This record gives sequence, structure tokens and C-alpha cells, in this order.
Amino acid sequence: MTAIATEHPAVEARSPRLRRGQRKGRLLEQVLGRVLAALAIVIASTYAGGLVYLVARGGSRLVAFTTYATPLSDIDGEDVMRFVLAAGMFAGLAWVGSLAVRGVLARVRGGHQRNVDRVARVVIGAAALVGALGFRDHLPRFLIGLPSETRAGGGIGPEIFNTLYFAVLSTLVTLPVGVGAALYMARFAKQPRFVATLRTALDTLASLPSIVYGLFGFLVFVVEMKLGYSLFAGAIVLAILNLPLVVGITEESLRAVPRELEEASLALGATPVQTALRISVPYAWPGILSALVLSIGRVFAESAPLIMTAGTTISRGTAYSLDPFRGGETLAVHLWYVNSSGLAPDRADVSAGTAAALVVLILLTNVLAARLGRFGGAAGTRLRRATR
Amino acid sequence: MRAVELASAPVSGSPTGARRHAPSRRTGDAVVRLLLVSCAAFVLVTTAAMLLFLGGAGLKGIRAVGLTSLISGALWKPEADAYGGLPLIFGTFVSAAGAVVIGAIPAVLAAVWATEFAPKAARSLYRRIMEVAAAVPSVVYGWLALVYLIPQMEKVAHVFLGDRATGGEGLATAAVLLGVMIAPTVLLLSLDALARVPSALRDASAALGASPWQTAMRVVVPHGWRGIIVAVFFGFARAAGETMAVQMVIGGARKLPETAFSPTTTISTQIVMDMQNAQPGTTGSNVLFAMSMVLLVVAVTVVLCTRWLSRGMRTA
Repeated sequence: MTAIATEHPAVEARSPRLRRGQRKGRLLEQVLGRVLAALAIVIASTYAGGLVYLVARGGSRLVAFTTYATPLSDIDGEDVMRFVLAAGMFAGLAWVGSLAVRGVLARVRGGHQRNVDRVARVVIGAAALVGALGFRDHLPRFLIGLPSETRAGGGIGPEIFNTLYFAVLSTLVTLPVGVGAALYMARFAKQPRFVATLRTALDTLASLPSIVYGLFGFLVFVVEMKLGYSLFAGAIVLAILNLPLVVGITEESLRAVPRELEEASLALGATPVQTALRISVPYAWPGILSALVLSIGRVFAESAPLIMTAGTTISRGTAYSLDPFRGGETLAVHLWYVNSSGLAPDRADVSAGTAAALVVLILLTNVLAARLGRFGGAAGTRLRRATR
Repeated sequence: MRAVELASAPVSGSPTGARRHAPSRRTGDAVVRLLLVSCAAFVLVTTAAMLLFLGGAGLKGIRAVGLTSLISGALWKPEADAYGGLPLIFGTFVSAAGAVVIGAIPAVLAAVWATEFAPKAARSLYRRIMEVAAAVPSVVYGWLALVYLIPQMEKVAHVFLGDRATGGEGLATAAVLLGVMIAPTVLLLSLDALARVPSALRDASAALGASPWQTAMRVVVPHGWRGIIVAVFFGFARAAGETMAVQMVIGGARKLPETAFSPTTTISTQIVMDMQNAQPGTTGSNVLFAMSMVLLVVAVTVVLCTRWLSRGMRTA
């Protein structure tokens, strides 16, 4: 460094800031670089600003807690739904708060704090319980009300329930099938031909537009099996839609399992199946979880296949029913339906609120997936270093 | 490769190893293996079933209408038994191509900035923002376009067409919306592609005295172009398959657009609109399946192109 610097006085003048590619280049290049930076920053801030605006605009409708009690509308299961919703909201708020506190503490004291984790868990649990017990009758009307097609004041309660219920139903299929297929591909497949065929099938599934899944589900479940519009059909279609994603990420995280661990297990006399189930899958679990959370995010977001398999209606009698063979719309479908065929005079507000609820759910899944994935990554790096 | 090694390890493969295990463990293992194989088979069977069901219904539709009139007919009017798919195909491809021009090119440029010029702290933030933007549901984009983009596009149409302008809904609006929607996806995939370029190349370029701009444009981008092309392909496929958002802004006129701002329709829009009225099993329904085969062809083409390009990536 010093040798170069003495030979080139011009470089020496800027040497404290000397980094890779520090040579500035011609004026034109500098201008082009600035233009590129401006473009990139404008793009990012447009998206970020748009998201913030969305949440803020709809949030006014979401956050408005009623201080008076909101009456039950004598629908089966509404009281349970209120309990869960209040608990979820308060736990979510406490979680975000604890993240902020943890961030500050990490800055101040440095490092990872185990006891902070424990306290945070207790606080989140307490907040959920207090919220559920104290505020279940004082939730915003919008969040628990039934949707209304013609009159103002419709809510999105059943839509929230259906959205979450879809996530559960489709994960029930995606988790075993996706992890099973990935485990088979990564560890047990013997014929390369079969694996190559599987991979082609998964690639094809991954690139099909979701409307094609909708057509398939419509043809098979609604028409051929005569189920009518049902949550079951929608959940199966969503599960198939998510298979490529879950199989891909699971396989990747299975391949990241250190070979020494598995070989040690085999050397101790475990069978390959035992090794896979007790060593590989637990080690890869954070990656699998983050894949599942990402797939849940897609369940929240998808609308076209659900319109064709689960319908666009909410019926009052079965609004919160756990029966999977009834029809029902999700938040995303509701947002479309309100704007394309709804007649309610306040549909701009309803849309804003629905969009905000949807975006908040998506944000939560994204943060969760990133945290789970990072956890897995850190553990993987640590073990890789230890076993090198 | 590694799976083969594990499976043929002496613990399970050789007869001596097998005898040493208790019988219950052997049957348990066999059951688990069977379950895993059936999971994998499920994936194959569903894919095959999808192609067969869609293809079967689609072929019926093609047979009823005729392939040439289905592709080249300019009038789509199920009430009058007129199934000319040209407006649908045209709308799909033109709006997707417009989206690539409007959305993908700025996205690729932004990805170059984010990997090559951005300060380190900004990079992960940039990626975060784009991940969230890519995860935002398409109906939300559609609704935003309905509320904010359509009035603006109406003004733009007036500037270009004067009195002939019909309103804010149309092909150009759909293209802009799709561009906004695919930009985050293309950006993320391009970021991955550029991040895969070995940093030794950047160091070597800088050591030869290249400026950052020269390093980026003459070393990094040429090295990562295959990944960028794949990203743009994916963007195109997503735009071509997008349904609800496009349906909300394209206007739904079932004819070829007269101008770039005229309302028209796309394959997926027409599928979701007509499927609710068409009686299952009739020509009106089968024709929609036939049109979905076009989307299938786009998807398979993208997969094949990606395969081909990534094979080149490995050898390069």
C-alpha cells in the first residue's frame, strides 16, 4: 500500500478512503452512476412509501377501538373468534414492542440476551391474555362485523377467519407432503431419472400462473366431485400451489445439514430413516419453518384460484364454522369482490381497511420468515465452523 | 449424488447390517420410506393430473371451435358462440411485454446499483423493502391502480388521443400496473444473479484500474447476464399469468384494442369472468381451458429457457 502510494502521489492524497474501485472514473460515468442511484432510490422509496400509506390509510379503520361494547351478532363461534382476534392483536403488538426493546438493549449492552428473551415471552403471553379477557367485547366493529354488500358499515370478521383457516388447512397438506417429498429427493432417491422427473414437475408447477390452479381445482373438486365451492377445494389447490416453494427450500436446508453429523449418526448404528428423522429434519427445521411461513404468506395473498374454488360469498349461518366443505371468501378475494361487484357506499373505506389488514398480515409473515431463516442460517454457520 | 452414497451405506445395504436390526425397526423404516416415496409420487401424480385434466377439457374446446379460428378469430362473444381468441392472446402478450419494458428494465438497473454502488448498510434494507413489495397481494396492487392509476392514465390518454380517449381503463394502464407489480420480483432475482458473480472478478477489475462504473458494466453485468435474463423471463411469465389486478384495470372489452389506451382483455381475465357463467362441460367452458393452454405453453417455455440458461451458467 505505502509503496504504491509513494509512487502515485495522486492516490496518496485520497489514501485514507482508499477502497476497492476507488478510482472515480470520468465525469460521464459519475453522472450515470448518480442517475442510477437516483432511479434505484426513487423505486425503493415509492414502494416503501406506498406500503406505509396503505397501512396508515386503512389503519384508521382498523385501530379505532370502540370504548363501548360491540354487541354479539348471535353467530355461532363469534365469541371464540373475538377471543382469538383480541389475543392475536395484543400478542402481535407486544411482540413488535419487544423486538424494539430488544434492539435497543442489544445496542446498549451488546450481544444476545437470554433473559431478555424469557421476559419477552412472558410479556407477550400476558398481553395476549389481558387483551383477550379485557378487550374481546371492545374490538373495532370493522374487524368482527359481517361484510355487507349493499349497506355501509360492513366488516371483515369472517374474511379474517377464513384467511387464517385457509392457512391452517393448506399447511396441513403442504407440511407433510412437501417435507416428505424433499426428504425423499435429498436423501432416499436412488434413481436419478426419477429425481429429474420430479424436479421438472416441480419447476412446471412453480411457473404455472395461479389461475391455472384455479381452473384445475374448479374442474376436479367443484365439477367432477360435485363439492360445490368449498374451503376444502381451495385449501388443496393452495397446498399444491405452495408445494414447489416448500420442497425447494426444505431440500436446500436439508443439503446444508453437515455431513459429519449424519455420518456420526449412521456410524452409531442408526438406520438412514432414523438419521433423517432425528438428525437431518431437526437440524433443517428453521429453514422448513420459514418455508412454511412464506407459503402462508402466499395463501394470504392469493385470490384468483380461490374465487374459482371457494367462491366469493359469506353466509351468515356458517360464517365462523370449522366445516371445511362450506364456501367462503378470504381478505384478498373480498378486496376484489367489493371493488368489482360490491354496491356498498363506503366501499373505498372498506377496501382501504381490508388492504391494510392484508398488508399487515403479509408484513408479519415476512418478518417471521426472515427471523426463522436467519436463526437457521446462524446455527448452520456455527455448526459448520465447529465441524470443519 | 449424496443420497445414493447414504442409501448404499453398509448400515442399511448389506445383509449383515440388516440382520442386526430388530424386526420392528425394519418395518418402521420401510413404512417411513414408503410414506416418503408416496409424497414424491403425489407431486408427480398431481402435476400429471393437472396437465391431463386441463389438456382433456382444452382439447374438447379446440375440437369444437377449431384451432385456427380459436387463435386467429377477432371476436370473443360466448353469448353468440363466437370464440375468437386473438384479442385475449394479444392483450396478454402485449400487456406483459409492456410490463417488461416499464418494470423490468428499471428493476435491473436498480439491482446493479444495489449490488455494485450502494453502501453496505443500504443493501440489506433495499432487499427487505423489495421482498415485502414482492409479497404484497396482487389484488392490493389492483385496488391501488383502480383508485390512483386510472385517473392519471385518463389524463395521459387525453394528452395523446384528445377526444378519442375513452377513459383510464385499458391496455396501457394494465401494462403500467403489471410493470409495477413485476419490478420487485425481477429486482430480487437480478440481485441474486449479480451477487453470484465472484468478487474476485471485481477485485481483479479494480486492480487493473477500472472505475466502479467500468467494473459494473463491463465485468459484473456481462458475467451475470444469464441470471438477469432468467429474472426478466420470470417477470414476463408472472405478468402474463396475472389475473385479478389486470381484470380490475383493463376494462374487459372483448375485442382488439384500437389504441394503446383502449380497453381490451387478457386470457386470465376472460377465464375468471366467463367461468362463473359458463355451464361446466359445454363449449363455453372448454374453450376457456383451451385458452389456459396458452398460459401453460408460456410457463413451460420459461422453465425450458431457464434450464438452458442455467446449464450455460454452470459451465461458464
